Amino acid sequence: MTMETGAQHRLRVNHLGLWLFIASEAFLFTALIASRYMIVGLDRPDDLNQTLGLAISLVLLLSSLTAYLAETAIKHGDRRGLLRYLTMTIGLGVVFLIGVVFEWNEGLRLFPPDTEFGSAFFTLIGLHAFHVLTGLLAMTVVLNLSRRGHFDADDHWGVEGVIKYWHFVDVAWVIIFPTIYLVS
Amino acid sequence: MDGVYRLKRMLGLRVFVGLLVLDLLEYFVGSRMNSGALIPLAVLAVPSTWLIVRFYMHFAQLRQGGGH
Repeated sequence: MTMETGAQHRLRVNHLGLWLFIASEAFLFTALIASRYMIVGLDRPDDLNQTLGLAISLVLLLSSLTAYLAETAIKHGDRRGLLRYLTMTIGLGVVFLIGVVFEWNEGLRLFPPDTEFGSAFFTLIGLHAFHVLTGLLAMTVVLNLSRRGHFDADDHWGVEGVIKYWHFVDVAWVIIFPTIYLVS
Repeated sequence: MDGVYRLKRMLGLRVFVGLLVLDLLEYFVGSRMNSGALIPLAVLAVPSTWLIVRFYMHFAQLRQGGGH
């Protein structure tokens, strides 16, 4: 039987804490997704821009790949890879948010927030966009720390934590995209 | 670049291709079906979620004690 060091114990607690946080966030998104079906049923406006929804979905999926590559890079001591892929992830996240601005602009004309579908649309997309924004801020902090020499193959919890959060944001979108744009 | 690093990068790429296919399939189903799309879309969302949680978020790590 091997003894657990203080650092290993802290890392285990960090993982558990992050997963509990992600679970609590999942409950929040589940409640809002359920409210879409309770309030609007299976209806959706005919002029909803599904192509724009698909485009930003693909951007977010691609950002999950670059986030994974950034985490894998630092796990193998590749700091340049971490910096490169983390920068790409942040860039793709910004592109996603620009896409959200476009869809909100269309949404305000087609189904304002005081309509049934509009309330579901703006609440769900707005909450998700807020999570994207906080993920981007956290990744920017991690990027700056990485540039100053923080994190290596043995100590990279900061990178791992923020990237797990980013993947959760992607999982939430995997459910939100069909819920808002495709279900009929 | 060591072999394990290369393999992990390839795994990430394969997962992404899987997610891409599922996302396009979802779009195809949702944009073509005028009604009754809920069940197929829900079924398609399951493997997408599983792929991300299993391979990108390393969920199994939690059961193994959460170490690097």
